[in-house]
Parts: sequence; structure tokens; C-alpha cells
Amino acid sequence: MPEVDFTVEVCGMAGDGTIAAGGLINEAMSLGGFSVLGFDSYPAEIRGFGRCVTNSRIGSNDIVALGEKTHALISLNDEQSRSRAPFLAEHSLVFFDSNPPAYVSEDNSLLSVLPPGEEVFGMPFGELAVGASGSSRGRNLTALGGFAAVTGTDPNLFRKVIRDKFKSKGEKVVNINVKSFDAGYQYALEKFSDRLKSVFPKIETGHDPQKVTLSGNQAIGMAAIDAGLKLYFGYPITPATPIMEYLAKYLPEHGGRVVQMEDEISSIGAVLGSFYAGARSMTATSGPGFALMTELITHGVMAEIPAVILDAQRGGPATGLPTKTEQSDLHAAVFGGPGDSARIVIAPTNVEECYHFVIRSFQLAEKYQTPVIVLTDFFLDNRVENRPFIRASEGQAASWNVFPDDAFKDRYQRYADTPSGISPRALPGMQGFNFTATGLEHTEKGSPDYSSENHAKMSEKRHRKIRYALKDLEKPAEFFVSDNLDVGVIGWGSTFGSVLEAVEKSRKNGFKVGALKITSLFPYHSETIKAFMAKSRRVLVPELNYEGQLANLIAHLDSKPVERLNFVTGAPIPPSAIQNRIEELLEVVA
Amino acid sequence: MSVKRFVIIGNGPAANHAAEALREKSSESKITMFSKDPFRSYRAHLLPDFIAGLIEEEDLYNRPYAHYNEMDITLRLGQRVVNVDFSKRNVILDHKEVVPFDGLIIATGGKPRIPELFQLFGDIMMTLKTPSDARLWIQKLSYVDSVLIIGGDLTSLSLTKALLKLGKRVKFILNEDAFWPVPLNEEIYRAVTGRLEQRGIEIVHCRRIRRITQLEENLLEVETDSELIEVGALGAFFGLVPDVGFLARTGLDIDRGVLVNEFLKTRFSNVYAAGDCAQVYHPVLRDYWISIGHENAIALGRIAASNLAGSHLEVQVEPENILEVGGVKVNTSWWTEF
Repeated sequence: MPEVDFTVEVCGMAGDGTIAAGGLINEAMSLGGFSVLGFDSYPAEIRGFGRCVTNSRIGSNDIVALGEKTHALISLNDEQSRSRAPFLAEHSLVFFDSNPPAYVSEDNSLLSVLPPGEEVFGMPFGELAVGASGSSRGRNLTALGGFAAVTGTDPNLFRKVIRDKFKSKGEKVVNINVKSFDAGYQYALEKFSDRLKSVFPKIETGHDPQKVTLSGNQAIGMAAIDAGLKLYFGYPITPATPIMEYLAKYLPEHGGRVVQMEDEISSIGAVLGSFYAGARSMTATSGPGFALMTELITHGVMAEIPAVILDAQRGGPATGLPTKTEQSDLHAAVFGGPGDSARIVIAPTNVEECYHFVIRSFQLAEKYQTPVIVLTDFFLDNRVENRPFIRASEGQAASWNVFPDDAFKDRYQRYADTPSGISPRALPGMQGFNFTATGLEHTEKGSPDYSSENHAKMSEKRHRKIRYALKDLEKPAEFFVSDNLDVGVIGWGSTFGSVLEAVEKSRKNGFKVGALKITSLFPYHSETIKAFMAKSRRVLVPELNYEGQLANLIAHLDSKPVERLNFVTGAPIPPSAIQNRIEELLEVVA
Repeated sequence: MSVKRFVIIGNGPAANHAAEALREKSSESKITMFSKDPFRSYRAHLLPDFIAGLIEEEDLYNRPYAHYNEMDITLRLGQRVVNVDFSKRNVILDHKEVVPFDGLIIATGGKPRIPELFQLFGDIMMTLKTPSDARLWIQKLSYVDSVLIIGGDLTSLSLTKALLKLGKRVKFILNEDAFWPVPLNEEIYRAVTGRLEQRGIEIVHCRRIRRITQLEENLLEVETDSELIEVGALGAFFGLVPDVGFLARTGLDIDRGVLVNEFLKTRFSNVYAAGDCAQVYHPVLRDYWISIGHENAIALGRIAASNLAGSHLEVQVEPENILEVGGVKVNTSWWTEF
């Protein structure tokens, strides 16, 4: 089979069914056995105006980053789609509505801004949908029908995913939608009979049943349920809201509850309360909400209460760019809040890791009795991947609570200073133990004590505990690393896919380049990072923030300066930008 | 002063040379070309060679896309102009886009002519005008061994050569309706059929075709007044007619093509027509003539553009180069080369 690496975009106005169409492409291609990485961007406003774009990169090999050039554009609104023209690859396929409801001026036309090599396929989307189903609402599906016909995609893949999507609404709705798809499919087969392609050959092995198509947010919700989440407290905020929506739908079936709180302060307060009582709970928010939580997060640090907080980063500061991606909360996650409040911060780099890291966050929180912050971002939360995915067993999600031994009942000290710094924690109701949750500096027993000796001792104990947590935190993973590298690229979070693709391409160009993936951001494995930096003649850290927040954290580990590549465009870093920077640095190295 | 917006409808030799000449004379203007076909400028005379496998499809095309970028010409392919509003000075595309113009050149060329008698069979008669037609021929020829050509124009003869090269059996019907663009007399008939027979082509001598029946997807039965023929495919080559149907209700003067004066100007200001779609007034003949052929198209395209840009060039054609075929006056200067 020829290698497939094809990017499709669907672009329309909010309400056009753009996101739904993109989702169906992801599902259909996944069903066809292809690897898929999909990402949607949409306006911050709820409905009625603003541009929606879905981007699906479809490949015969694993896909780790978004496509940079679009090979097919399905335009559900030409005025909005004009903005996508610069991203079209040469000779791309452009599907557009050839019979819009009203005349359009050249200034609002998509076709007027296309380069001449693009192949245009005009289809009366709305008219076909009306003919097939009596309503123009299915015009996004007729467009998909045209796309399937022209690209040589098995229409049964789309029919199956359309049926699955609408089956809960009854057979009539299913049939209407399949008919709309078929109308577009047949029209394109006949109308463009001499221009049909074979972009997506049939993969004989078909769909890999281990591959599951999931968004980052779905994986997070699923992980929380599999971890035995009892209570979710949250306040809606983009891009974290889909986690609450997912849990609201599925958590009650598993004996848990979702509570929408009045704000983020009460959300984190409730999470601390639940964990204090022994129940796994969590909250998810984004930068502005996270800022509100910081004081109570430090309360969790001081009182040594577990908490799981997911910060789905978006463009900031303040309300910022609600529906754009950024990695600019790292400093806030690691350092935010009053006092020396060391906590655990981890960051998955793909959808599969979102699942496993959330499960692990509950265990880390329990064992180290501290807030654990899971840092994701809009690109990771909202993107869809279909990778082999194995759910955790009950044992893998088991409690890591460290309870006191009954033998210590008489002399139990809630904040006992142990070699690891971990003080066995008694839950309220455990007979014979005392319970405390003080935010004041305290003795090992839990009594307030502001003396300089005690504060120094207890501060050291809390920090020792966090350092000790390193043994349970994933080490940085090396990719293509040999004894000496000309350029070593360090990545974290959603950006790592672009890092990996850029490094692979540079290596194919014959360059000695390697990558390091850091998922434990605080505490971090300084020795491993230091060793990687030492064997790299130049160190590059690409990040989606202005300053280079990870670069700031690790720059002191090596004497050579860290090269920064910072993007604050609100969009993921294109692999080519990293590759270009690598190869620029190589020129300097040479 | 605002930038002038020039629109050219068409993408053949007349249209392309018009665009290039306009750019030479008007560096600041916005030039947009519209073509209903989805492919860029091609060498039509090489289509039979492409079918015969002598050249690749890419060899058909004579202007890379980059050429248009370099010339700052917007080329919009696969986008059909369906109407022109001369009062508002807009062209209207089939996807309901409205594009304003200050100057317009109509250079839509010709389209395959199917005589009325044969129009019922239009869907099974194959023609050869575009790369898309050529691809269909290639596809069809992978299934069939024999082809009946009804024709007599240059394309039909070139295609016949390609078919022979591919080892196909070819039958040929040559009659007045099919011969274009010179009058078919006894002498020409004998000369052409003699040449064809020498190459192993079977000539079907008949006056008319009575019926065509599609027996199977790749099997046709053609009954003439002289014999019953079974063939795999049927090619129809009756020459070209100006492709100006979409202008019928716009108020332009149209006979067979767009009527223009000897300066290629239509009745509307700053609106010109050039190439195979134009019928040009000849002040000596006091009649209109149609231009056919690549070189004529180029010349007319350049004159139209120059005049639109402010020149006053007259089309110079010697009256003896204009023949009368079926009541139409045709400039066939290229035909003498055949």
C-alpha cells in the first residue's frame, strides 16, 4: 500500500455542523484502519457566528502531530474558508457549495483566493440534502459524501459511523442522515467521474480493535472513572468543560457524582474536603480558574491533603484566548501560590498518556498527600487520536493511601517526620486516631507552632516528601539518543509530537539529533535531563509560551545556553518550524 | 486612480495570450481568467499522442501554474461563467459569485459540434477536445478493440493515427456533415479515403446513419444505409462551434459566435471577443468570419488585449484566406498546412 499522509480540513460557521463532520471523518478513517490525529478549533462564543475548523491528519503510519498543509478542504462556508487557503498544499482538493443561498461577492468568495493548481469540486450541498432528507441540515453530510467519492474512500465506513452517531435518535434520523451522505456520494461519483482519486486505498487488515478513537478530554474522563472517582467538582471553563460533561454523563453509572460548584474556589475546597474524608475526587479548570484555586492548593500542601487538579491550559493571561492553545501555566502550576508550596506537576504528551497520567495522579496524591496538578492544554484536550489503548485494570488504579498502623494508635502524629517525609494519614472515622487539616504551620502532632525551628523543620519535611516522589514519577524518555548529539530537543506536553516529527525528519536528512520527553515537571529528574543536555552540543526547547517556561526551569542544569523556540500564536507548533530551527542550529554547530 | 479589473473568460491560446499582452501593457491592473475546465492551458493537438501513450499527460500543458503567479494573473480553473451583466459590468459564476470588471475579453474557444441529427446519441458519441476527453478515451480503449470514427476534421485524423498505433481496428465514415472546415467535394473525398484505406482503415461508404444501439457497455451496433456495423466505441468529429451559449441572453450580438468589429470590439464598451468564439467583421467582405486554429487565436487574443488597453489595432486577414463552409465564412489559414 502506498504511504498515506493526508490532511483534511472542514471549515464553516458555528452551527454549520463543521465539528460533527470532522468527527465523522476521524471515526470513518479510524474504522478504515488509518491512524488519525484530529483537532478542532472553534470560536469562544457559543453559537451563531465565528469560524469553526477541524483538521484531521490521516496516515498509514503513526501520526504524532498535526498536518501543516491541507490536502483537502471541505468548505461549509466560503467566507470563513478563505482564511484556510494559505494552508492548502499544491493540487489540493477543495469541496464547496456550488449553490449557496445568496449571491456572493468576489471579496467573500473562497474560490477567488485559491491558487490555480487547486482542484475545485462544486456541489450543491444544501440542495442535495433537501432532496435526500427534506432538510438542508444534512448539507455537511452531503459534503462528506462528495469527499468520500472523490478520494476513493469506502462509503460504508462513513455509513457505519453516521449510523453509530445517530442511532440513539432512532432509525428515522439515522436514515435521513445516511441518505444525505449518499446523495453527495452519488452526485460526486457521476459529476466528477473523470476526476476521481484513490487517496485512501482499502487496508486489508482493516480496523485494529485495540485502537480507540478518543479525545484528550474523553481519555481524562474515562481515566477518572476507571480510577474510581467518587466526586467531581467543577465550574465550566473552556477547554476543560468537556471533562465535566463526560463525567456528568457517565460517572453516575459508576456510583459517582458530578457537582457544579459556584466557582473554582469552592471546587478545589470541595475536592480537598472529599479527599480529606478519603474519597477520590478531582476538579478540572483552565488558567483563570486555576489562578483562583491557588490559595487552597497551598492549603492542601500545608495540610497535606491529596487533591487532583487538571489545568487545561489556554491562551492567557487573564481570560485570554479561551479557544486557543498555549503552555503558559507551567510556572503557575509549579510555583503559584503563597509560601514554599511544593507540589507535584505532571504533563501528558498525548491522548493515551492523558488516560494513564490521570489514573497515576490519584495514586500520587494519595501517597504523597499533596495536590497533584495535571497540565494539559487546548490542543491536547481537544484533539482526537486513535492509538492502541488498553484500559487500566482495577489493580493498576488501586489506592496508594498510606494509612497508619494500628500499633501507633496511642502515639499517632498526623504529620510525623519520617525519612521519606510521608506521614501515614488517618481518615476521619478511623478509630483511635486524631484528625487535623490545618493551614497554619504546625508540629508533627498537628498543633499550631510558628517557631522558627518548627517552620524550618516542617518546611524541609514537606519538600523532602516531594523530592521523594521522584521515585514514582516517570523518568524523561529519550528518543534517538546516542553518545553525542549535535542538537538535543527537549519537549513537554502537546508540543512533544511536533518535536518528535521534526527530529525524525532531521535525522532522515542525515543530522545527529535526538529528543527528550519530560512528563514529570515538578519535581523533575534533573540528573537525566542534565545528562541529555551534556551530550547535546546545542539544546533546543520549543514551547507554546512567550518566555520559555520549561527552559527557565532547566536552564541551570548545564553551562551552555538553552536555545528557545517560543510560539504564542494560539496554534500548535508546526513540526517544520522546529525542524528549521534544528537545522539552523546545525549550521552554527558545523 | 483605482486599479483596473480585467476579466478574461477562457483559458485557450487566445485567452492566455490576451492575458499576457494585457499584463505587458497594464502592469498595475488586476487580471482574472476564468475557465470552466479544471485544467490549465494545454496543447490540444497533442491529445492523440497522449492517448497513444507517446507522451505523458504533463507534456500536454504549456504553462506551469507558477507562470500565472509570476505574471500576477489570477487563474481560476473549473469555474464556469454562466452570465454577464453588461449594465452592472459583472460576470456571474455558476456558484453564484459576482465578479466586477472594467474590461472584459471573451475567449471561450469552441466546443465539439454535434449535428442535430446526432444529438440524441450525444452520450455515447465520444469527442476529443480536452485532456479530460483524452482520459476517457484511454479508459475506453482499455476495454474495446474497435472504433468507428464519424468525422473528417483534423482531430479525427490524428486520433485515427493514434488508434492504429494502439492496434485498434478503425472504421471511418466520411461525409459532408463530418468534414470540417473545408467543403467536402468528390476529389477531397477520394484523396482522404484513399489515404485512410492505405493505412488499413475500413471506410464505410454511406449516406446516412439510421440507428445506433448500445448492445452492451462496450459494444455498439450502428446501422447505416449500406451496412450494419458492430464496434466498441464511437467517435464523433464534426469540428467545433463557438462556445458562447451562456451569453445568449446578455444582449451581446451573437450569430454563430460573438459578433465583433474589425477591432474585436463588441457592442459594449471595453468588451472584446477573440479566438474561435468570435465572428469578426471584414470591412472588405462586409461580412463576418470565424477564426479557427491556434495561430489565429493567439493573434486575435493579443489584438483584443491591446485594444482593451487603449490601442487601436485592426485584424488584418486577406479575403482569399477566408473560405465559405456550409454558409459560414471561415479563416482557415492553418488548414493549408495539413
